[in-house]
Amino acid sequence: MAVTSLAPRIGVRHGGWPLKLAPQVANEVAMARAGLSYNRKDHKSISIPGPFQTLAIPILSRSSTDRPSPDGGADSDDGSAADPHAAIKPKVRQVGFVPRNAPPEPPARSQSYPAEASSPPLSDSPAGNSLSPVMIPPPRHLSDNLAAYRTPAVPVPETARRRAGHSPVVGSYDPAESLLGTSSPAPSPPSSGRLIGDGEFSDESWLLRRSNSAKFASSFPGGGFDLTAVKAVSAADLASDANVKKTTEKSKGSALEVKNEAIPSSKPLKAKTTKSERRALQESQRAAKVAGRVEGNKSTAAASGRVTSAKAAKQPTQKKDVASAAPSVAASEKKGSDRAPEKDKKKDAPAPRMQFDDKSRVEKAKRRAVVNQTEARNRVELFRHLPQYEQGTQLPDLESKFFLHEPMHPAIYKVGLQYLAGDISGGNARCIAMVQAFQEAIKDYVTPTEKNLNRDLTAKISSYVSFFTECRPLSISMGNAIRFIKNRIAKLPLSLSESDAKTLLCSDIDRFINEKIIVADQVIVRHATTKIRDGDVLLTYGASCIVEMILLYAHEIGKQFRVVVIDSRPKLEGQSLLRRLIAKGLSCTYTHINAVSYIMHEVTGVFLGASSVLSNGTVYSRVGTASVAMVANAFRVPVIICCEAYKFHERVQLDSICFNELGDPDAVLKVPGRMDVNYLSNLQNRENLQLLNLMYDATPSEYVSMIVTDYGMIPPTSVPVIVREYRREQLLI
Amino acid sequence: MMELEIELKKASDSLKAWDTTSISLTAGCDLFMRYVTRTSALEYEEFNSAKSRLIERAEKFGEISQKARRIIAMLSQDFIFDGCTILVHGFSRVVLEVLKTAVQNKKVFRVFCTEGRPDRSGLRLANELAKLDVPVKILIDSAVAYTMDEVDMVLVGADGVVESGGIINLMGTYQIALVAHSMNKPVYVAAESYKFARLYPLDQKDMAPALRPIDFGVPIPSKVEVETSARDYTPPQYLTLLFTDLGVLTPSVVSDELIQLYL
Repeated sequence: MAVTSLAPRIGVRHGGWPLKLAPQVANEVAMARAGLSYNRKDHKSISIPGPFQTLAIPILSRSSTDRPSPDGGADSDDGSAADPHAAIKPKVRQVGFVPRNAPPEPPARSQSYPAEASSPPLSDSPAGNSLSPVMIPPPRHLSDNLAAYRTPAVPVPETARRRAGHSPVVGSYDPAESLLGTSSPAPSPPSSGRLIGDGEFSDESWLLRRSNSAKFASSFPGGGFDLTAVKAVSAADLASDANVKKTTEKSKGSALEVKNEAIPSSKPLKAKTTKSERRALQESQRAAKVAGRVEGNKSTAAASGRVTSAKAAKQPTQKKDVASAAPSVAASEKKGSDRAPEKDKKKDAPAPRMQFDDKSRVEKAKRRAVVNQTEARNRVELFRHLPQYEQGTQLPDLESKFFLHEPMHPAIYKVGLQYLAGDISGGNARCIAMVQAFQEAIKDYVTPTEKNLNRDLTAKISSYVSFFTECRPLSISMGNAIRFIKNRIAKLPLSLSESDAKTLLCSDIDRFINEKIIVADQVIVRHATTKIRDGDVLLTYGASCIVEMILLYAHEIGKQFRVVVIDSRPKLEGQSLLRRLIAKGLSCTYTHINAVSYIMHEVTGVFLGASSVLSNGTVYSRVGTASVAMVANAFRVPVIICCEAYKFHERVQLDSICFNELGDPDAVLKVPGRMDVNYLSNLQNRENLQLLNLMYDATPSEYVSMIVTDYGMIPPTSVPVIVREYRREQLLI
Repeated sequence: MMELEIELKKASDSLKAWDTTSISLTAGCDLFMRYVTRTSALEYEEFNSAKSRLIERAEKFGEISQKARRIIAMLSQDFIFDGCTILVHGFSRVVLEVLKTAVQNKKVFRVFCTEGRPDRSGLRLANELAKLDVPVKILIDSAVAYTMDEVDMVLVGADGVVESGGIINLMGTYQIALVAHSMNKPVYVAAESYKFARLYPLDQKDMAPALRPIDFGVPIPSKVEVETSARDYTPPQYLTLLFTDLGVLTPSVVSDELIQLYL
């Protein structure tokens, strides 16, 4: 408390801005430093992603006799010397992962990899050299384990994709999936056998692991993603009792971590493996084989699985060592290539971070998608990392599937279609519609036999979320609401009966909507109207529901002011706001954004809404907001942002490019109701014409005078404080 | 217990009503109420123990406020170096304490004092400083820009510190801060933490008015208006540092502290 602390803090403290780096940033920095001069002591735990696990086993067993712990490049070289397939000793310490073998042609891989379990592992070794770098065949003596990892069909382009070095797509096809569809007791990810040494691939396989986890989130929503496949397998075998599961999990967790850590030469980062960990690893391998097979229907859960369902992997339910390894893994991978779409992996990403640059990956994702979207042509290069689909193609298709889509609850489906059609827009409206749909789904939910409500329900929510993402990328408010719901599900006491749990959840959701949105809006309105004086000329942009509430309330209590409504194409959202204001009797002026600098000299205050406010005070809002704020700043007009606290996010964004949403490019071409303005009507498919319809932009904090939230009026520098307090409050709820 | 809180609130309100324009009074009362009532003492079953706990906290609050000036003076010593020239505006007991302590620490410095019309507070301060044998030079308010070149730092007190990190102080502070900012001179504010108020003015007119009649010495025709406001608001971008009993802070910290206290 400010007043209670007697001891003065000597030395300047810069408030508002986090003094320490956020954990994952600190980790990344540590990793980056480590990549240059690795010091094992710097890291609490290094975990190498799933793909490396099985290869680590043989190495481990060998190196266990040779030396207790690999250390640095030198040791790993030695350790791998025994490994016939570790041919390359990197002379140069390279950041990221280095392919160990020369890349062969894909066809060779497709032949060797999908070999059935019956094929002798020996045949793999000679074929090893013809395999792609990602397909390093497992050593012979582990053949029995790895034989089980064979999947009947593996997409060939995966190699090409990986070699192309693009960022991995979490939602892409995961051989692990089909692997687990077939009989395989293997706990470790099946792709592990081929994944040693390829840095980029490791990124991806790790991500595949995550997508895997997402698909198996029904069993294990929590913990590190390395663990998820393992957990899924063990969870899938519900016949085994909980204890076995837990121990298998735990040992696998440490085992995986150990395996990850023991990856030799190719990885510059290493960690210590203790004897107990290695023993645990081997025991887990044995236990996993004993554990039995996973049901085939697990893979169908992946039907709607995409990257955002990896949110399930981030559940705080289970704190495992691997969970802490997750950020370090991510950090290490990011070090190599900064294309990893899961920059927010520790915090749930509110919107899909799948990078859409790579065609083949996008195709994989499409195969998995519920909503079939065709990609738009003629996309602006700078925004290739964002999804862009042709509008108008999916709605009739989805509508016809309404009653056929079994795994999807009809309420969810309905809301998804509404998003797709653009019927619901605006952060609050979308969020409320989504959580109410979740409420319906929860009410109708029945826990399948032998499954845990927490985990299964979280998996279901994740699948719904990925469906929503396919309809329209999530807004940040929706992301935070989803995080809240998953948090509540995770916190449900296990002793609660199903109907009690469901009622509790529904009441929690009701409380969320009420406290965080409805009452928050009332508080904001009250605070903001104190800033409106008689004779004011207030400017607003677009259609923010909270700004509308403020203006109407101020008018109600009798303040004399007039409003300038700024609008812009193609959405022309301001017109609906204008209509409602005029109906209530306010005097309004209406113009488009090209006239904002003309009208700004008359204006005494600018009220803007926001989709989100980020931790550095940047306001993420409808495209055009930044321009209005900039002009207002130039005219020294105060800019007031009105935003509920639940929309704040700890992310930081410096520009409007790295994270945005692309709307329908055709909307830019046409003017509704004006057939004569058709100069661009036949130019959609021209090579040298690229259309860009951005939905959001980022307003820097120096243009913002004040942010009104349900916590009161705060300067933009205090947003991280609110985020911190808000998170803490959530934990206490 | 609730009755006691209501009584406290009534007392606080009557105090505030005595001088509605004083921000520090309002802020102090509000903070006192928060500090005193925001304690688990209110959950004690036994009334007397709860009451004694409240009294304890109240006394502590008083102590803090009294000690605040000494703490601030101690903290600001690092910023006053030998041979520096300090520009001071208005009569603030905190600033006086700072300068007194600097003298006690045998620092050699000189002070420029603005006149501080209309209430001539600068002259009072000059008097006090002369008693301490500090070289003082008095300027009229308009001479600030003229002398700003020779000045090393500006030191002012505050009536209130607002949520944005800006301060409300004697009329003329904003002007001085603007000049200092354009000439790259640091502006330091010495204020106790009980002056942190939950206000957020967007511009000069966004505050409760505090008027003080000005005596020009000659009669002014009745048609002519006189700007009689006694205070102005200095936005946080013109302030360098705040010396408070919580430490030496940047203006953005004020909001953090307020959030933590009022949350």
